[in-house]
Amino acid sequence: MDDDSTNPFRRMSSRTRKVAPKMVAALASSDNRTQAALARLEALENDNAGVEVVENIDDEDASLDDDDQAYIKRQSKGTKRKTRQAKALEAKKAPKTFMELLHEANLESLPPHVPSYLKAAVGPPSSTSRRHFCTVCGFAASYTCIRCGIRFCSSRCQNIHNDTRCLKFVA
Amino acid sequence: MSNVVVLDNGGGLLKAGAGGDLDPSVIIPNCLYRPLSAKKWLHPSPISISTTATAATEPSSDLDLTSASVRRPIDRGYLINPDLQRDIWSHLFTSLLHVNPSNSSLLLTEPLFTLPSIQRATDELVFEDFNFASLYVSDSPSLVHFYEASRRPTSLLSRAQCSLVVDCGFSFTHAAPVFQNFTLNYAVKRIDLGGKALTNYLKELVSYRALNVMDETFIMDDVKERLCFVSLNVPRDLQIARKSGKENFFRCTYVLPDGVSYTRGFVKNPDDAKRYLSLSDEKVSSPSLGVKKDVIELDVSEKTEDKKRIDLTKNEFDLTNERFLVPEMIFHPADLGMNQAGLAECIVRAVNSCHPHLHPVLYESIVLTGGSTLFHNFAERLEKELRPLVPDECQVKITTQEDPILGSWRGGSLLASSPSFEAMCVTKAEYEELGSARCRKRFLH
Repeated sequence: MDDDSTNPFRRMSSRTRKVAPKMVAALASSDNRTQAALARLEALENDNAGVEVVENIDDEDASLDDDDQAYIKRQSKGTKRKTRQAKALEAKKAPKTFMELLHEANLESLPPHVPSYLKAAVGPPSSTSRRHFCTVCGFAASYTCIRCGIRFCSSRCQNIHNDTRCLKFVA
Repeated sequence: MSNVVVLDNGGGLLKAGAGGDLDPSVIIPNCLYRPLSAKKWLHPSPISISTTATAATEPSSDLDLTSASVRRPIDRGYLINPDLQRDIWSHLFTSLLHVNPSNSSLLLTEPLFTLPSIQRATDELVFEDFNFASLYVSDSPSLVHFYEASRRPTSLLSRAQCSLVVDCGFSFTHAAPVFQNFTLNYAVKRIDLGGKALTNYLKELVSYRALNVMDETFIMDDVKERLCFVSLNVPRDLQIARKSGKENFFRCTYVLPDGVSYTRGFVKNPDDAKRYLSLSDEKVSSPSLGVKKDVIELDVSEKTEDKKRIDLTKNEFDLTNERFLVPEMIFHPADLGMNQAGLAECIVRAVNSCHPHLHPVLYESIVLTGGSTLFHNFAERLEKELRPLVPDECQVKITTQEDPILGSWRGGSLLASSPSFEAMCVTKAEYEELGSARCRKRFLH
């Protein structure tokens, strides 16, 4: 993620990277931690964990190419590539996500006394504060990673965390 | 035109049958799946009713569902993919139920606060694609109330015609006050957590701590249903889960299917897995632990041998604190980082949105329904959390349904057999005349 901002070549590519939309938001935002937490909550509603991975794989495939190679590849692939129209058609056929439908329904515009999906949400908790569990072993966690904000309970778990998950933004 | 099809179109399980029956004749997962061995998306085979009490999502026994991918027509509880739903329904009506839609009525459940665009899509599906003669749309809390009220005519719930239905299903959790068979939708409160999120959370934990199961939706569903339970005292249970060897009452091993000798995963030592039950009876466990230890001492050597084998074969994993930390999230979504109140507070808020005269009655007739309430100790824990939040003069009484997964279907079946049902439906002619939005007004959503 840091590479992205420092490497000018990556920046100049006109190709749009295929990354999960929530992840894009997480990377773009200054407040990465909260965004990453949101992305993770979103992931809890996924049907297949695999789908996103597949997308990422072909994304990485493409991003590995050097700039000139990518150009050649693009030409050779030309016949296989979908036209814009075909893509648009495909996008039309693909079902909208619930969030898109919710956005379209424009529930915010309803008068305040009408019950709606948005108003039925239970709202933030009042009394109890958040309990923290160690992301490595699951027990009560008293320490926070200074780099990514994820919780752990002991130096043993800290080491595991640093080796595996730190800054990967999957809580 | 006597036959009514009752269809509880859940996000996880689809329950369907003829109106008037006691149980639905078909229960299938509301999805298509594609196992690694198949090239096409397949219809899951129906689940027999007798197994629903123990394990809800048991797909066909012979098919290996390792790493099967899933497509669901329903996301976050709402129908987002009508094309997929049409596939599943046509399979259901023609191959499983053997009904002819054009001469039957449909009683369909729909989640609360369904968006108008989704309602329109549903109506199109029912009337234009399947040509049903008439349609009645209902919501699950009112059906559950209807069923409970008729089952126990002398109860307070039935005499006051008022209850608080807590529906903790696959996609989300609702606390819905019902009055005179109508859900008071201005008072309904929702937590965006259900069985699906819990399964995914368990997947995430196991994948990080033991071995990667991110693709194993069906296996992890099974693990969750067999091994997870609700803790009555989280700090104490965390302490116990930390112990090693036989003092750890929660450790148990789940064996993943290997695709050769067995296609279904299983719990390695079912007796071990049930040991937590003995714990919930004892208030303080430390004195009795000493007694237990003597009996079990001789197993310890065998246990270490077992552990060695775990490393070698890599097709099984241990669960300890995950077993109760996963359902715990329904009671404390904040622990996940969600900015939502837990179930007890959700209920209190739903009740407080109603007229004060209803409060005592609502607290005394709480009905639990939905598959996620099947976790052991769910009702006890809820009562424990709810009691301090409820005014002293009110009684708290929580009723569990005998089969929470089928609760709303049974209500629907009962409603479909009532004499006034015909009159409540919207017929195809009316739909064609008035359109979707007008017809919907009749169902008072």
